Amino acid sequence: MAFSWKRMQAVFWKDTLDLLKNRGLLLSMLVLPLVLVVVPTGVVYAYVINPDEPSLRLMARFYDPQLPSTVNAAQFLVERSLADWFSLYLLMPVFVPVLISSQSVAGEKERRTLEPLLASPVTAAELLAGKSLTSLVPAMLVTVGAFAALCVTVNVACWPLFRAPLLPNRMWLFGIFVVAPLFAFFGNAVAVVVSARVGEARMAQQISGVLMLPLIGLFGSQVAGYLQAGTQYYAVLAGVVGALDVVLVWVGIRLFDRERLVSRWV
Amino acid sequence: MSGIEAEGLEKRFGERTAVTGMGFSVAAGEVFGLLGPNGAGKTTTVRMLTGLLTPSAGRASVFGVDVATGGDALRRSVGLLTEQPGLYDRLTGRENLRFFMKLNEVDERTAWPRAQAYLERFGLAGREDEPCGGYSKGMRQKLAIIRALVHEPKVIFLDEPTSGLDPEAARTVRDAVAELAQEGRTIILCSHNLAEVERLCRRVAVVKGRLLAQGPISELRREGSALELHVEGEAAVHGPTVRAVPHVEGVLCEGGRMRVMLREPSAGADVISALVHGGARVQSAVRTGRPLEEIYLELVQGRAAAPAGD
Repeated sequence: MAFSWKRMQAVFWKDTLDLLKNRGLLLSMLVLPLVLVVVPTGVVYAYVINPDEPSLRLMARFYDPQLPSTVNAAQFLVERSLADWFSLYLLMPVFVPVLISSQSVAGEKERRTLEPLLASPVTAAELLAGKSLTSLVPAMLVTVGAFAALCVTVNVACWPLFRAPLLPNRMWLFGIFVVAPLFAFFGNAVAVVVSARVGEARMAQQISGVLMLPLIGLFGSQVAGYLQAGTQYYAVLAGVVGALDVVLVWVGIRLFDRERLVSRWV
Repeated sequence: MSGIEAEGLEKRFGERTAVTGMGFSVAAGEVFGLLGPNGAGKTTTVRMLTGLLTPSAGRASVFGVDVATGGDALRRSVGLLTEQPGLYDRLTGRENLRFFMKLNEVDERTAWPRAQAYLERFGLAGREDEPCGGYSKGMRQKLAIIRALVHEPKVIFLDEPTSGLDPEAARTVRDAVAELAQEGRTIILCSHNLAEVERLCRRVAVVKGRLLAQGPISELRREGSALELHVEGEAAVHGPTVRAVPHVEGVLCEGGRMRVMLREPSAGADVISALVHGGARVQSAVRTGRPLEEIYLELVQGRAAAPAGD
């Protein structure tokens, strides 16, 4: 049966309406971006307000024991902090789709709305595409919006020290507009596959969260200094995640077989 | 014109056979009852006929569309009311209906006035912009019926439409179904509520994993028959006399009333004769059909041979 854009849009329309009326979910979606704007701004501001504090050089030497004495320790720490927070920023486009997709897919089972939906002419591909868009669009809106806010707050906070805008730079732009969509797709695909196998939205969120731990481990390693991440590193990571996305979409479409869903869940 | 034809339908889930040998036909414009206890395979049969499940064996068609291969065409031809209304609680009634109009790719400009007419008929007008989470059970079920109708399906499947409703809500839903029946719509009504089926359907199929019987209710009720008698004094006094008559299956007495269940309708004359010879003063005797409940219980409990088909 041919893919119908209208039916896909209908699923997107309904799920977006449902999301906009779900205050709890909207609030939980906004917590992470708020933290990821306020905390790094506060951290860099702490370096900026007292750049001559002697303990800053001690801290900078902890990160780089060979740090030349000509380099401003406060500036070094600001740049280093922003690089570390960048990896944490990439968690946002992963977790927002997990929150939304778990609700919208496993939620259909939980609310007993799956049978009337499957009895309509909508196909598995249309359903998956519509539901995925519902989580990818807000995920990217939140990510880009939070990034824009971070650019403003960091640049304002750091202006006295740098006298030039720090963000956006090449790595952040690559991360937000290339890596983040691929990560968002990954988070969504994992949540969809997990939601197709479990009956409750909360359980789907928890299992999807556990499956994201390796990704968090990678970012943790970077923050701890075990990984030296740059644009090249993120490009490789994006390639791997992109390949995983393709596999997960194939698995998702297979799991969204009408017969399988009806005999297992309805 | 035949609306639904099913022959030898079977559905297996792994080793378990949910339904086997299911066959019946439903004419266009007919309200047909699918009767059976919980777990009898009514819902599985409906799911096969609505394209949600593919039959493991047998064949069926809905208005000429094969259920195994019909896909999109089949789903456009049918409207389904599931046992749980399955509404989106945060969405309003109007949004719920619009979603299914969009899914069925019907023109909302023509479909909405139709939906609005149903909202008025079912007493939901003015409530369509409220979130469905605030609807009563009866309102939810009625909105789900309207949702099943938004694309003007050729046939509507109603799976336990009054299950779990209080008597008042159940009545309003039954009235709504009766109105649809009066419009000449083809309706398959799955239920174990015999009074509801008797009120709404002319023909029924009794199922329990397989087809046990099918036909017009009036004919099923004639399978065997009953005699309603009024005698002077206590009817129970004459109970042993009546029970001794051949082909009498059972006797119920209450005051001067006596209800005699007969295996052979012709045994009625022998019952009256035995009563008169036994000294009873018979004031009236009326032959009645057996209640559907009695026939149903016999069939599903396997106490009677399955009557022939239609």
